[in-house]
Amino acid sequence: MNDNIRKLGYIFLAIFTVLVLYLGYLSVVVGPTLATDPHNRRLAAAEEAITRGTIYDRRNVVLAEDKLVGGTRIRVYPRGRETAHLLGFVSQKYGRTGLESAFDSYLLAMDDAGRVRAFFSRLLGKKRYGYNVSLTIDSGLQGLALSMLGGRSGAVVAIDPKTGAVLAMVSSPTFDPGTIEEVVRSENVTKNGKTQEIKITRYDILKTQADSAPLLNRAARGLYPPGSTFKVITGAGVLEAGGQNAEPTVECKGSITVDGFVLKDTSVHGKVGLNEAVAVSCNSYFGELGLYLGEEGLKRSARSFGFELIDYGGKTGGAVNYPVVGAEIPYNPGTLPANRISATEVASTAIGQGRTLVSPLQMALVAAGIANGGVVMKPLVMDKVMDRSGSVNKKMSPVALHKAVSPETALALSTAMEEGVRRGTASQAVIPGIRVAGKTGSAQNPHGQTHAWFIGFAPADNPVIAVAVVVENAGGGGYVATPVAREIIREYLSK
Amino acid sequence: MISAGEDGRKYEIKLLVLAGLYLAAGAFAGYLWKGGDARSILVGASVPTLGFLLVSVLWQALKFRSDPFLLPVVAMLSYTGLIFLHRLNPFYAVRQFIWLIIGLFSLFLTTRLFTNYRRLSEYKYIYALMGALALITPIFLGVEQGGARSWLDFGYFHLQPSEFVKILVVLFLASFMSENKMVLAQDTEFFRGFNLPGPRAWGPLLGMWGISLLLLVFQRDLGAALIYFGTFLAMVYVATARMLYISMGVGLFMAGGALSYFLFDHVKLRVNIWLLNPYGFIELGDKTYNQAYQVIQSLFAIGAGGITGTGLGGGSPLFIPAVHTDFIFSAITEEMGLLGGIGIVLLYVFFIFRGLKLAIKARDDFSKLLAAGLTALMGLQAFTIIAGVTKLLPLTGVTLPFVSYGGSSLVANFIILGMLMKISHETRIHE
Repeated sequence: MNDNIRKLGYIFLAIFTVLVLYLGYLSVVVGPTLATDPHNRRLAAAEEAITRGTIYDRRNVVLAEDKLVGGTRIRVYPRGRETAHLLGFVSQKYGRTGLESAFDSYLLAMDDAGRVRAFFSRLLGKKRYGYNVSLTIDSGLQGLALSMLGGRSGAVVAIDPKTGAVLAMVSSPTFDPGTIEEVVRSENVTKNGKTQEIKITRYDILKTQADSAPLLNRAARGLYPPGSTFKVITGAGVLEAGGQNAEPTVECKGSITVDGFVLKDTSVHGKVGLNEAVAVSCNSYFGELGLYLGEEGLKRSARSFGFELIDYGGKTGGAVNYPVVGAEIPYNPGTLPANRISATEVASTAIGQGRTLVSPLQMALVAAGIANGGVVMKPLVMDKVMDRSGSVNKKMSPVALHKAVSPETALALSTAMEEGVRRGTASQAVIPGIRVAGKTGSAQNPHGQTHAWFIGFAPADNPVIAVAVVVENAGGGGYVATPVAREIIREYLSK
Repeated sequence: MISAGEDGRKYEIKLLVLAGLYLAAGAFAGYLWKGGDARSILVGASVPTLGFLLVSVLWQALKFRSDPFLLPVVAMLSYTGLIFLHRLNPFYAVRQFIWLIIGLFSLFLTTRLFTNYRRLSEYKYIYALMGALALITPIFLGVEQGGARSWLDFGYFHLQPSEFVKILVVLFLASFMSENKMVLAQDTEFFRGFNLPGPRAWGPLLGMWGISLLLLVFQRDLGAALIYFGTFLAMVYVATARMLYISMGVGLFMAGGALSYFLFDHVKLRVNIWLLNPYGFIELGDKTYNQAYQVIQSLFAIGAGGITGTGLGGGSPLFIPAVHTDFIFSAITEEMGLLGGIGIVLLYVFFIFRGLKLAIKARDDFSKLLAAGLTALMGLQAFTIIAGVTKLLPLTGVTLPFVSYGGSSLVANFIILGMLMKISHETRIHE
C-alpha cells in the first residue's frame, strides 16, 4: 500500500508541475496580449495614474503625446489626419485602436520593470510616465502620400525591403483622431412618448459613412482585386518551377481562349519573353503561363509570398472569418479560393482577375520580397522603446517571414520590372538617375472604373524602398497610381 | 533529519514565528496602502499568530508528537487569505478572522477528541447515512449562492454541508476499503474466463458515481462532484493499485461529464468558456464576452501581475466578480506576481508531501487510507480551483483551502488538518 501512496504522490507532483508550467506560460507568454486587450479595464485605470508615452517618427518628430490643456490631460496628434489609421486612438467611449492599442504595454509601462517602478512611485508619491516609442515611419512620406492621393479613396504603403520597417502607411479618406469625441450637433429623439436629446459626435458620423468607410485602415485591412500586379507572382511561379533557362516565350495573338472564354489583350504583342511581357503587361502571356503552372503551381507561388487559401463561401469578398496576420499592425493576407477552380479561372487568376483579394500591405510585401532577393521580411513599425531618460528598453529586430523565391528568380523579376518602368506601362515612374522597378495594375471591379495599382521598388540594384499604391475607381495604374509612388520614392531617396 | 519527538514542536514554533512575521509584514503593507484603524489591524495581525503559537505550545505541553510542518504551511496559507481579504474588503477579513479562531479551536478539539479513531471504522454506515442526509437537505431546504444550490441559511451565516460531508465521505471510504481490501483486489470470474471484480467492489464505485452525479444535477455543484470522485479514485488506487478501477472510474466520470454537457446548460456554458482562445478575446462578441466575463477578468488579473506582481494594493483585482471566494488566487497572482502564485502552489505541494508521508508511516490500513484520502481531497481541491481560475480546466466553483473566504470551508479544513495530525501522532508514539 505504501508504494501506491508514493505513486499517488508522483501523480500529484505531475499535475502540480503542469499547473506551474501553465501558470508561467499564461503569465509570461499570453500575459502581454491579455494586458493590452481593449476589454481590459485596467488600461483605463492605468491611464489615470500615468502620463502616456510619446510616439515619435524615425526622425523624432512627435506623432502623439499627452498634453495638459486647462488642467486636464488630453492626447494630441500633431500630424492628425496623416497618421490617423496608423496610430489609431484611445477613447473611453470608442475604445482603443491602431498602434495606440498595440503598444499599450509600452506606452503605459506595463512590463515587469515598470511594475516595480510603479510600486515605488506609489510609495513615494511620484509622477509616473509611460515609455516613449519611436516608429520606423517617416512623417514626411506620410504627408506626401496623403496629399498625392488628393482626396481620392485609396492607400499607400512603403517598406524598407531589407528590414521590413514600414516607412509610410496611409489610408484615404481619413479623419482627425483628436476630435472624434467632439459633439457636432444634438438631435431630439422621441421614443415611447419621451423626448430625449441625443448628442451626435464626429465619431458617430464617421461610423455611419459606410460607403467611404473613413475609419477603415485600407492599407492593412482593405480588400482589393490585385489586377496585373499579380502577374509578378505568376512569373515567379514559372521561373521557380522551370529555372531561369526555361524562360518561356509566348506568341501573343491579342487574346487567348480557355474553354470558350476569351481573355482579351490591349493589342497583339507578337512573340514575347518575360521582360517584354511584364513591360507591356501582356494578358495572353501570363494567361498561358497560368495554364502551364496549373492551379496547384499558381496557388503555391502565391502562398510563398504569404497568401492564404480560404473558403469564399460563394462570395467574392467579405467572407466570414477572413484571415488576419498577427503583427504590430494586423493585416489581411492576400487570399485565393481554397476549393478547386476551373481552367478559365486559373487563367484569369494568373492575370490578377478571378476572385483573388489583396490588401495594399500584402502587395507591398510582394514588391519588397522581390527587392530583397526573394525573402519577405515581417512588416515592423516599432523602431525602439525608450524610457524618459532616453535609454533604450527594446529595439526592433528584423524577422524573415517567407522565403518566397530564389535570388535568381528575384533578379529576373527585378530586371523585368525595370523594363516595365524604362519602356512599358510603368514609365511614369521614371526618375532621372535612379533605377526604378515597377508593375502597374488596373483592377476591374463591380463599383465602376478600374482600381489603379502600382507596386515597385528602387534603386533596382540596391533597393531601399518598396512601395504599393492603390487608388480606388480612378482608372489605369500607369497614369494614376504610378506618379504617387514615383514622388514617394523620389522624396525618400533625396534624403 | 527532523523526525518524531518533542523536538519537532520546537521547529514548528520557529516556523510559526516566521509565518507570523509574514503576516505582520502583510498587515503593515496593507496599513500603509489603505490606512484604517491601526488598533484593529494590530489585533488582526497578532491574534492569529498567537493563536497558532498557542496551539503548538499546548501540543508540546500535552506531549503531542505529530508532524511539525503541516501547521506552519497552513498558517502561511491562512495568513495569505487574511492579508488579501483585508486588501479586497476588510468586512470579509473580520469575518474570516473570527472563523480562523473557530478553526484553530476545532483543530485543537479534533486532536483531543479524535482518540481511538480506529474504532470509528466500525460505524461506517452511520457516516454514509449522515452524509447522504446532509447532502440531500440543501436540495429541499437550501438557498442558491453562486449558481450552486448547496447552502443552508442559518440567519447569521450560511452553512455549506458539502464542505463537512467530504470528511464523512473519506471516513466511510477508508472504513469500507480497509475492510474489503482483499475483496477489491481479487477477481471473480465474470464471464467465461473474463476476470473482473465482483459486485461487492462494483457497489461502492457505482454508489460514489451516483453521489457525484447527484451533486452535479441537483445542487449544480460541479466542483464538489469532481473532487469527491477524484478523491474516491485516489483512495481506490491506494487500496488496490488496480488501474482497471481507475480507468473505469475516469471513463464513467467522462461519460457523466459528456452527458451533462448536453443535458445542462450551465455545464455546457462552462466548457464553452474553457475552450475560448485567450489570444482571441479581442474579437469576442458582447454576448460571449459577458458570459465569460468572470474567467476573462481572472486571466486579465493574472496577466497584469507578470512575474513580480503589482505589489499589495497596486492591482485592480476587484474587477473580478466573487474575487474573495473562488477567485482569490487570481488576486494573489496579480499583486504578488507569478512568483507569489507559484509560492502558493508550492505550499500545497508541501502539504501533500507531508500528508502522504505520514500516510506511508501510519501503522494500519485504515489510518493509511484515511490520511491519504484526506490529503488527496485537499490537493484535488486546491488543484481544481487554481486550474479553474487560470482556465487550465473548466471553472468549477470551490474554495481555495485555507485561503478563500468562507467559514464552513475553513473550519472543515482545520478539522481535516486535526485528523491528519492525530494520525501522525498515533504513528509517532509507537516509534
